Amino acid sequence: MIENSFNRRDFLKVLGWGGTAVALSGCGNTSVEDGKEFVTSYSEPADYEIPSIGVYFNSTCAQCDAGCNIMGRVREGRVLKLEGNAGSSINRGKMCGLGQAGVQAHYNPDRVREPLLRNGNKGETLTWEKALSLINEKLGGVKGEEVAFLTGGISGHAKVLLNNYLEVLGSKNHYAYEAVSPGVVRAANKKAYGVEMPRLHLDKARVVVSFGADFLGAWVSPVHFSMQYGQFRKGSRPEGRGVLVQIEPKMTLTGANADHWIPIRPGTEGILALGIINALGASVPADAAAVAKDYTAERVSKDTGVPAEQVGKLAALLKERSPSLVLAGGAAEGYAHGSQNAAAIALLNQVLGNVGKTIDASDTLQFTQIAPTTGSRASLQVLNDSMAQGKVKVLFSYGANPVYTAPASMKLVENLQKVPFKVTFAHYLDETALQADLVLPLDSALEDWGTSVPEYLVDAQLSIQQPLMEKLYPNTRGIGDILLALLKQRRAEDYKAYEDFYSYLRGAMVQNKAALGGAVADDDSFWNATLSSGIVKLPSAAGSILAKVSAAAIVLPAPAAEDASYPLHLIPAVSASMRDGRHANLSWLQESPDPLTTIVWDSWVELHPKTAAKLGIVEGDILEVTSRSGSIKAQAYVFPGIHPDAISVPLGYGHEAMGRYAKGVGANVFKMLDPVMDKETGELAINETRVKVSKTGQRVIVVKDEGAAGGKQMGRKIAVKLSADEVDLSEEV
Amino acid sequence: MSLSNLLENWSQFRHEHPNNDKPHEEYKWAMSIDLDACTGCNTCSVACYAENNLPVVGKEKFAHGQAMHWIRIERYWDEDDREFADQGAQFLPMMCQQCEAAPCETVCPVGATNHTADGLNSQIYNRCIGSRYCSANCPFKVRYFNWYNYPTTENVWPEPMQQQLNPDLTVRTKGVMEKCTFCVQRLYSAKNNARTEGRLVHDGEVQTACQQACPTNAISFGNLVDPQSKVAKQWEQQKVELAKDKQLKDAEEGGTDLRGYRILEELRPYPSVMYLERVRESAI
Amino acid sequence: MGKDIREDIAWAQINTDVLKSLESPRRLFWVIIGVAIAMIGVAVGCEIYQYQNGMGVANMDNPHVWGLYIATFIFWIGMSHSGTLLSAILHLMHADWRKPIYRFAEAMTTFSLMTAGLFVAVHLGRVWQIYYAIPYPNERWVWPNFQSPLLWDAMAIFTYLSSSVLFLYVGMIPDLAIVRDNIHPGWRKKLYTLLSLGWEGTDRQWRNFRITYLTVACFLIPLAVSVHSIVASDFAMSQQPGWHITSFPPYFVAGALYSGCAAIITLFIILRYVFKFEEYMTLSILKKTTRLTFAIAMVWTYLNLIEYATVWYGHDQVAKDLLIQKAIGPYAPFWWSMNFCGSIVPFLMAFKRFQTSIPVMFAVSLLLNLGMWLERWMIVAPTFSHGYYPWTWDHDQWPSFVQWGIVFGSFGWFTLLFMVFCKVFPSVSMYEVKEMVYHRTLALKKDGLATKGAH
Repeated sequence: MIENSFNRRDFLKVLGWGGTAVALSGCGNTSVEDGKEFVTSYSEPADYEIPSIGVYFNSTCAQCDAGCNIMGRVREGRVLKLEGNAGSSINRGKMCGLGQAGVQAHYNPDRVREPLLRNGNKGETLTWEKALSLINEKLGGVKGEEVAFLTGGISGHAKVLLNNYLEVLGSKNHYAYEAVSPGVVRAANKKAYGVEMPRLHLDKARVVVSFGADFLGAWVSPVHFSMQYGQFRKGSRPEGRGVLVQIEPKMTLTGANADHWIPIRPGTEGILALGIINALGASVPADAAAVAKDYTAERVSKDTGVPAEQVGKLAALLKERSPSLVLAGGAAEGYAHGSQNAAAIALLNQVLGNVGKTIDASDTLQFTQIAPTTGSRASLQVLNDSMAQGKVKVLFSYGANPVYTAPASMKLVENLQKVPFKVTFAHYLDETALQADLVLPLDSALEDWGTSVPEYLVDAQLSIQQPLMEKLYPNTRGIGDILLALLKQRRAEDYKAYEDFYSYLRGAMVQNKAALGGAVADDDSFWNATLSSGIVKLPSAAGSILAKVSAAAIVLPAPAAEDASYPLHLIPAVSASMRDGRHANLSWLQESPDPLTTIVWDSWVELHPKTAAKLGIVEGDILEVTSRSGSIKAQAYVFPGIHPDAISVPLGYGHEAMGRYAKGVGANVFKMLDPVMDKETGELAINETRVKVSKTGQRVIVVKDEGAAGGKQMGRKIAVKLSADEVDLSEEV
Repeated sequence: MSLSNLLENWSQFRHEHPNNDKPHEEYKWAMSIDLDACTGCNTCSVACYAENNLPVVGKEKFAHGQAMHWIRIERYWDEDDREFADQGAQFLPMMCQQCEAAPCETVCPVGATNHTADGLNSQIYNRCIGSRYCSANCPFKVRYFNWYNYPTTENVWPEPMQQQLNPDLTVRTKGVMEKCTFCVQRLYSAKNNARTEGRLVHDGEVQTACQQACPTNAISFGNLVDPQSKVAKQWEQQKVELAKDKQLKDAEEGGTDLRGYRILEELRPYPSVMYLERVRESAI
Repeated sequence: MGKDIREDIAWAQINTDVLKSLESPRRLFWVIIGVAIAMIGVAVGCEIYQYQNGMGVANMDNPHVWGLYIATFIFWIGMSHSGTLLSAILHLMHADWRKPIYRFAEAMTTFSLMTAGLFVAVHLGRVWQIYYAIPYPNERWVWPNFQSPLLWDAMAIFTYLSSSVLFLYVGMIPDLAIVRDNIHPGWRKKLYTLLSLGWEGTDRQWRNFRITYLTVACFLIPLAVSVHSIVASDFAMSQQPGWHITSFPPYFVAGALYSGCAAIITLFIILRYVFKFEEYMTLSILKKTTRLTFAIAMVWTYLNLIEYATVWYGHDQVAKDLLIQKAIGPYAPFWWSMNFCGSIVPFLMAFKRFQTSIPVMFAVSLLLNLGMWLERWMIVAPTFSHGYYPWTWDHDQWPSFVQWGIVFGSFGWFTLLFMVFCKVFPSVSMYEVKEMVYHRTLALKKDGLATKGAH
């Protein structure tokens, strides 16, 4: 590694141009002779740049909202590979597969390269000047409240500019939308603990009981929790080796790693939580005991399907091994009573005395304007209603693909037609961009400047995002630059000092350098140090968490009645690579086998062997899964990690646009979700959809990595496991 | 091209397996993978694709078994007819075990695969004529053949994706066998840098791509000859010896308390990868 | 039990009969040549497609890295043992009945080896660099890897091919002289004049000839055994289940002799009919060939059962699983067919009634060869589909049309070579047949004198 204490921009100016100009075809199809390649000699090579030696720059990963800090290896002006930033308290130098695929998002062949204006069914290219002036024109005739801005979760200085812009327009209509978000749990946490996303310390727990929180896979901050999990499992730590119990109707990646995986009837997680509180007996505070008093082991067993003695065992385990940590995840919260489920689970944590030990509050930021605005599903509902009533005249969208992720019952496309002018800032021509009137191409995350604050705060930090190479395409722009240009249309005077977003960012940071730990340094040193480390500590105050038991009226409904015409529960699964489908066009992720089924390049329907036998289904049968709101077709996969009353289909497949690797791969299960909402937060209850399954008569061979033996070792000692009581882990290295 | 040259090469590269006659001197690269920490997330696999210019073959070719993942994550279930997989699944990252007595090395007709002085099983792409005997002989089936010419196949590296390719190693053409190399390009750089400074590579100074990316730190990699390296300490603590096909500890009292083992050890390839058995607490 | 040959065939008659086969071919010949070329065309087309696109079009994958190419390669090598068996081994055993038939058998050997060589090329991923396997002086100072059984194969097969060509050629010299002396002037007379090396049939020449022929025969027999043992060691030297069996070398040699003999019967029947060689390729000889084939079939069956028994009673559970898998898994129909064709069908040859029945023996010989081809395939493929590592088991991969096309075309190639041979060179050894007739006459005279003497 070479120390990078130099002028960033000069480096890029000299190198990047040369780097992108040398078109490395890698396959010999072009040559210097035929004019398709040319060799550029550096007339003024920068003295830190040595061909064949990689230089590393820090930035921030934009593949999910965990916001891990990354380090890009750059050679000859091209970013080649991403690693984790070792100085980050989020990921400590580690990455996940999704993060690794960030380079593919950057080099993706299907990125939008030019601004496009709709003409019938086509998009015609136009210049940025024309595009921006068109926006100005369209905004001229509308009132502030008729403008809406749809984004995903957003934070940092881009958020500041966005808020400024909306203020300038006189609009309060910022809709932060995430199709897959722990919205219900956040709301329940706020009620129970006083903080939306408390800080979790798995590495300090002796036992973790997770109600469907896939913290190793796709929940909140998987790399961070995986790191903690690595510590958690070490037998040599003072607490000894931790044990994990996962309770969920469909096995997630985390569930596959559990010491005990408990399949539970879908929706009854809250009942089990109260049952455990009941089984804890005398040590439980009075109001909690009151709430849990009717939830005897027998009743809980009847409702949830978990054997009565198991409930007792869980209680004993939690009592004996303290501190513990209880988590509520997507499986628990995706119901109309999801908030109640989450509240019961939070209550369990408090009753066990975990608050302050394994669960505490993260710091609160002083600079609230850059703090993250989290996305939720409910906000899309509000926007949809507005559009349906014709109240939205201009819609901007950025970082969201609701046309793909919204359930068909919302009739989103219909409502979008009612908006006269739609602008999408996009990387790909995805389903939402295809509905827009104007598509403006974005810089990739590896080409852009920015800052972000992670939604899950380990330490109060501001992550720096800096370009790892020159832009691949001259006509893409960063969101910060676009917002700045839009602001300058309205408030030229206020923003004339800022030539571009970079100078705005630098200015904003340098202005506050005293608060950001750079009091003594001069501006340039401070800025260079900031860029070099990629992470800035933010001034913050210690957060506080409610430790007192707040057993607000938790009312759990009885387990859902059986529905004869739609007998099975549909659990839409969030996989670590596909998530809400935004990365379906990254070929590494499509080719990376799903860890549990090893299936690639397609969707599937997971069924328990009993369910499959009852319906006469074998692996590979193409099934039609029908709900009241829609249907999909996908291949069957018989799977021992699912409740017999449920089936599971992964989210993120079935794109109709977006690119060559995403289009036509699999089926889109978002569309067929029933419009059932969580009663308290209005979040879409994604696990409430009931379905029926029928064979279409077609059968395929499932494309997967496992061979004909499936998951069997045939008695050959390949993957060996032993029981905890047979091994002494305390001496391990 | 003389006979003496042949005999000299022969004695250098073909020697008694496992190489007790010529122990590794400066470096012997080895790995240790903790199956209890491995969560099966597949990060190592994607990182390997990024680092080593692996082609994405697409659905049809994957269906034909022609995938190119040098490190693959296997997933096993418990096999006692339980109704549910209530102790989860078992994940196992499997890559070239860099066997000391590799079954693949002896059978290549042109000598494209050999054992290096630092204990790696080398694969020399430009010597390979594609007879695939090495893969036929590999008990782990961790060798991957280029069934098509991926650099010129559509949608494998469509413009500008070819700019992501790592120039430190080749992009293989059709007809050539490839496999995990323990990121030999990184090892080479690290050894050169160390040599320039007149020292050996420190533990942790060089990391394989999979090790570097793994979020739970399940993969340890390093120099087995260096007693201070983490991997050497792990092998020693687990009492797994490189040059034995039956570990002494398995015959000893209490030997099964230790978690370290190697896969298909009884076939005597003497793999350089040790796995630590997964632990499950059954009582809960 | 008829006599192997009539004793009253005039030597001139022998010349005429055999030389007639060298005349301008009838229409059917050209038709068959056309078909053979068409078959070769299919193979060439498939190979070009494979060469351009990569081995993947053959439907090979991980773990099925070898397919029909290796199986058919071994099949053709096996077939090549026919000539050696008949020519060399039976020569040493003084089995005179081989004399009318060994010529085409040796030709079969040579052409089988040439066909097998093609499969080595077709099978390689980078066939344009096949020369790396040759120990030629190069600036990298790199030798091929002499530890590799594939390289032993290369060396053994080259040696065997060159020795067989030599053997075939040397044995033909007196016959080439006969043709030279009897053919009309033209390019052919020039060819035979050149090839017969000035053979005059002097006593000295005959004596030298006998010694040379005997020497090459003695050399060729261990070579043949070693070649197929080496080919067997491609598998036996590997650890893979289903391959790591010490009885493989003799098993393969037995199988080779078996398929060679079966092919001899097939070609015997064809040539006998086409060239009207009934006087020479008599039913008595057919019967002897058939009985020899039956004996070899039983040897092969024995070794086959030994293989199953050692696996069944052994400790290697992996190999046992594989054996069971062969019997009940996706390859089961082929495996059972192989056992049927290889072990049950030859019993037809135990019945005198069928031993000289042309249609039955023709069908039987084809079935035996089918069985032997299936045997090679069943050695190669199931091991890959069901090896040591269950995660990599693949029960769904089957060879694509490319592999079948090339295998199919190889039979066309062999046919083409063989048919051209039969028209350019005498496919029955005239001088040996004359010797046979002579010995028969002598034997009869001795009998006659004996009877006379007895009275």
